[in-house]
Amino acid sequence: MHYQGDTKAGTLIAKDKFGNKYYENLEEELPLRTRWVDYKEKEFDPSQIEPGWHAWISYMVDKPPTQDPILQTGVRPWELPEHRPNFTASRGAFKTYSTVKPKIKAWTPEAAPRA
Amino acid sequence: MFSSTRSAAALALRVKPVSALIPYRSIAAISSSSSKPASAVTPHNASGNPSMSVTGKVRREVVLPSQEEKKGVMQYALTTLDQIANWARQGSLWPMTFGLACCAVEMMHLSTPRYDQDRLGIIFRASPRQSDVMIVAGTLTNKMAPALRQVYDQMPDPRWVVSMGSCANGGGYYHYSYSVTRGCDRIVPVDIYVPGCPPTSEALMYGIFQLQKKMRHTKITRMWYRK
Repeated sequence: MHYQGDTKAGTLIAKDKFGNKYYENLEEELPLRTRWVDYKEKEFDPSQIEPGWHAWISYMVDKPPTQDPILQTGVRPWELPEHRPNFTASRGAFKTYSTVKPKIKAWTPEAAPRA
Repeated sequence: MFSSTRSAAALALRVKPVSALIPYRSIAAISSSSSKPASAVTPHNASGNPSMSVTGKVRREVVLPSQEEKKGVMQYALTTLDQIANWARQGSLWPMTFGLACCAVEMMHLSTPRYDQDRLGIIFRASPRQSDVMIVAGTLTNKMAPALRQVYDQMPDPRWVVSMGSCANGGGYYHYSYSVTRGCDRIVPVDIYVPGCPPTSEALMYGIFQLQKKMRHTKITRMWYRK
């Protein structure tokens, strides 16, 4: 609430696994501002929202993932066990690496003595 | 006579019986490399110094940035100064719009009421001398590259560059063209790369949030004091 720069009041829908709190106020707020999230961390990032909650907060679905069995995360075998946020600019960020031999090599030139 | 030769030829052409094939034992029968069981492999630091890392260097424990503690009055003062300066910087981003192609349309959408960049303090500024972020939106051609560099050089410090779209990131669709620069990071140092062709306005806004995060974590006076 303090970090989103707005004063809002609504009903607490649920808290996700990470600790973000989701609110809704369909009556008093303007359209497309009726659902919002109160992040757990001060250094918040939209990628901290879990996929099911992202669908809910983007108005893709009507019911929050706590009430919709289809939106439950972590139950399908191909899913990651936990949601991963964007690790850019942190130590968990992906760093590219090469597994092939370098195509350019340094060498020490050896000149044969002239006769 | 013809019938007997025909049957002999048919026998010769016929596939040899199964016993002549490689008997099915395992994949080792057709593998050319020698077998190497897992028990024969020695782990990397089993025999040597256990404090060595995988790359062979001495292992070094580094604290996370969030675990770094403030020591002394000076660090507290400088951290607060940094926070104030970073807050001021991230609250009024004035981007120099370098709209070159279709990405510029998405950049314009960011200023429309739906995404409303003004609430973030972002005002498009047509002059490089009064702006601190350059959003390179679109294909950077070789002909435009000197102009881009000149505009970047005219911007006052501190300055940041957001590369928007795959053309600006690395050439994109025109990577193999004779007249297109393969990424604007060959011309100017880039802080944030926004992928997409073109990226949506949300993607650009997310890139701007990432840039604000980067600004928040800049240690301005702390690095100066360390020197």
